[in-house]
Amino acid sequence: MSFVWRKRWFVLLFPLFLAITFWHIKVETDLNAFFTATDDEDSRLLAGLLKSGELSRRYLIIVEKSEPTKAAGDGNAGENPISIAIFSNRLVNQLAKLDDVEQVWPADQPPRDWVDAVASYAPYHARLFSLNPDQDAPELFNPTKLETKAEGLKQALLSPQGGFVKTVAKQDPLLLSLNGFKALQGQFQQQAKLGSGGALILQSRPAALDSEAQTRLQAAIRADFAALNAAAGGAFKLSMAGVPVFSVAAQSEISQDVTLVSVVSSLAVGLVFLFLFHSFSALHWVMMVQGASFVLGTLATALVFPQVHSLTLALGASLIGISSDYPIHVMVHCAKHRNTPLSAVRLLWPSLLMGGLTTVIGYGALGFTGFPGFEQIAVFALASIAASLGLTRWVLPALLTHSALHSAHLPGIAAWVDFCGKHRKVLLGLFAATLVMAGLCLPQLRWMDDMQKLAVDMDVLKQQDTAVRSHFSSIEPGRFVLIQADDWETALQRAEAAERRLKALQQAGVVSEYHGLFPWLVSAQLQAENAKFYQGSINPAFQQAWQAGLAKAGLSVEKLGTLLPAVDEPLQPAKVMDSPVKHILSGQIVTGQTGVMLSLWLGEHDPDKLIAGLAGLEGTRYFSQKDQLDHLAGKYRDRSLVMLGIGIGVMALFIWLQQRDMRKVLLTLLPSLASVLFIFATWALMGEEVSFLHVIGLLLSVSLCVDYGIFFIDNRGKDADVTYHAIASSTLTTIASFGALGLGKTPTLPILALSVSLGVTLGFLLCPLLIQKPKN
Amino acid sequence: MHRHERPQGIQGVTIKRMLFLLLAVVPVLGWADDAVLSELLTRIRQTSQAQFHYDETRLLELADKPWHGQGYMLSGADGSLVKLQLQPARVIMAIAEQRMLYWDPQQNQRHSAALDSAGPAGEQIKVFRSILQGRTEELQLNYAIAAEKQGPQWTLRLTPKPELSGDDLPSIEISGDDKDEQRRILIKQSDGESTEYRIQKATAAQQQDYSLPRLLREASGE
Repeated sequence: MSFVWRKRWFVLLFPLFLAITFWHIKVETDLNAFFTATDDEDSRLLAGLLKSGELSRRYLIIVEKSEPTKAAGDGNAGENPISIAIFSNRLVNQLAKLDDVEQVWPADQPPRDWVDAVASYAPYHARLFSLNPDQDAPELFNPTKLETKAEGLKQALLSPQGGFVKTVAKQDPLLLSLNGFKALQGQFQQQAKLGSGGALILQSRPAALDSEAQTRLQAAIRADFAALNAAAGGAFKLSMAGVPVFSVAAQSEISQDVTLVSVVSSLAVGLVFLFLFHSFSALHWVMMVQGASFVLGTLATALVFPQVHSLTLALGASLIGISSDYPIHVMVHCAKHRNTPLSAVRLLWPSLLMGGLTTVIGYGALGFTGFPGFEQIAVFALASIAASLGLTRWVLPALLTHSALHSAHLPGIAAWVDFCGKHRKVLLGLFAATLVMAGLCLPQLRWMDDMQKLAVDMDVLKQQDTAVRSHFSSIEPGRFVLIQADDWETALQRAEAAERRLKALQQAGVVSEYHGLFPWLVSAQLQAENAKFYQGSINPAFQQAWQAGLAKAGLSVEKLGTLLPAVDEPLQPAKVMDSPVKHILSGQIVTGQTGVMLSLWLGEHDPDKLIAGLAGLEGTRYFSQKDQLDHLAGKYRDRSLVMLGIGIGVMALFIWLQQRDMRKVLLTLLPSLASVLFIFATWALMGEEVSFLHVIGLLLSVSLCVDYGIFFIDNRGKDADVTYHAIASSTLTTIASFGALGLGKTPTLPILALSVSLGVTLGFLLCPLLIQKPKN
Repeated sequence: MHRHERPQGIQGVTIKRMLFLLLAVVPVLGWADDAVLSELLTRIRQTSQAQFHYDETRLLELADKPWHGQGYMLSGADGSLVKLQLQPARVIMAIAEQRMLYWDPQQNQRHSAALDSAGPAGEQIKVFRSILQGRTEELQLNYAIAAEKQGPQWTLRLTPKPELSGDDLPSIEISGDDKDEQRRILIKQSDGESTEYRIQKATAAQQQDYSLPRLLREASGE
């Protein structure tokens, strides 16, 4: 095909692919989807909890009096100040109308539907009155206390809860079903002691990490508050906490990072390019080629994965710098040797191909480290590097036909090559000594074992979170007791055994509080046991004593005097989960791929004592999201180290297949391997905590540095200075593009920026030292 | 076991010494037009602190016989209200800052809830407050109000508006006579239960016995 048609096809197809990509792509912003592997049950559980867990969807809202300002004070002169209780009540009514709000309620009292749900258990009173019927039955069915019980019932009927008590008492005169719910009542009473009426809980409909919906909801909450507060003379302030608050903040930070990195990376590469070649025309075409590579990489990722993560795009943007290496090599040789682009690209093609291949291997190895996000980056890199290579080989010569190229002379490049040649023995001795010292430093290397350190730094939000949470009872969203079993019955029996232990641990002060599943869900075994004690106690004498108590209290013997036998059928979990109770328990029924998983929520606790306290319970274990994340961090680190080794091995194999010379293979790899060793040693000396991301950064730098070795040894232009100039130029663009990652606030990005930039710089400097200057 | 704690002073209180009554409704000849109703409602408006003695009779669906109680109601200018039951046992039920408080020391039961979400009990005490404090706008929001006069006796009937029938609002009957010595308030729940209050203004001596802020503190457990 003629150059003219190649150019026309390129100009035609580029916008077409761009349009297809825009049409097809769905961008994912959930950080956890990027980092959380889903290759085992726990990881899936963790990912699911982070994405849509009930507690994760909750906002904790505090309304407080704001500090009085002079203006506000003047404005309210003569008016009655509105109390926090009145204001928060108005806010609850207003927020309940929002579409994205599933439910909002004052933290110190149960939502209305919870109360209705409790009343629905009255017919099953004989089957679920106690978690420990053998211990509780003697007290509950003590005939001598029936008069007191009847008097208590009368007082309950006269109390503000009279309507509710009446509903229950008609089916459960002894109010046995309420016995099991005492703990629930206790939870709200405890909250009432903490709050001043301004503590609210809001449950959102969208998942916590649906940051678009959560951003919308948070704006609506603030708008409603602002409108009410304006009417109240600005007397109040609002604070929010909860997982969605963090997810929106993280999303905002990441979006800013993606934009910043993309813009700065492109600008930096463009400026370096202009500095190197002094040609806007060439810059324009090369950027078009890189843009096309980026689009094809994105399209390929969008076709392979249902969603493309925004971090993939951010890290992918850095690939612009890498894949511009290929055109740069061509253009440096063009400019220095006055070749046509076509002849230059033909000359360099074997080296370009091998360089591209090793880079793809590096990124491919990244894909096997276990991170869902990095699998995307591997696919992205494979497609965009292949596109960049193909476009450089077949389209770039057509695009550069009329571009005048002037390669800048980079000062010091030739001098460094000459210096290395002249003092090779001394420098090699020094290198060897440094190598040994670096090896000795490695045992001091510190591994990062807290994955939280890789999260976006949100100290201000964390402080606010702590302040808001101090107004609420202390159920933690990230740590709980996990019950697993193949079927509901076994799972419930295990949950009940765990609750008995938790009760003992609570009394021992190991855990401040816990939210179990009893009596919302009760095993058939425990229901049968309860029914047995009930039936054994409700004898004629007991009934008579009860009726006498009712009569003495002035209550209706006719309506309350008959104690019916236990219902025949137990309350089945399926029936409960088919009722509104499902919404109350949805956060504690964890969806797993197999069997049933239940969670018992915990307040403040001592993990070690709690784990010891639960020891020996089958299918029961303590689950901590943080521990799980840290465990994942360790697993990722080990995998990334293995993939670093495998990646280097595969690169060596491909170089050997091309060169068939083991010495050349070693020489090609040596600069990059040495730089990796030196960087590890430096981190060890500095006390830097090394994470899997550091290792991954080095893996990338190896895959890039190996290219330098390949180009330097191949020296296809038969001019080592020109080859090293080309390598220097590509090093500059790589540093420019990866250096831009360092501007990101997401810790992932600066770590990658540092690892890759250090790796390629050292690898570049070591090339002429370790590889003897090839003959021209 | 029930202690009778009725203060001494109330026995000697003459009707003439009562300052004014809870509901000063001007009776009319068997009908009430808007102007009369408006005048009535204006007259019952209570903005200052006041204290009343009450006798309560409740008919419960699950009880064989009526339940009787008595005590005092303390109404604050800020909208707070305390119902201090002294017989048959001390129980405090109150409204403060849009919250309903309940404290039964004998049963050791304490509740606190936002008034709007306190269920039928919350609705009832809200209505009661509206009547005691003359919050006529609140009453007219939910009720159709009709007045009736037969001789010296008058009755004001509050019927839930038809569109609010699903809200379980009670119907209310307030009655008295021309002398305005005491009032009878009958609250009938939609489920058939009813509560009747007979209320009269507390004497100055009785008013010194109870402090509204102190009772509110007791109810909230502070």
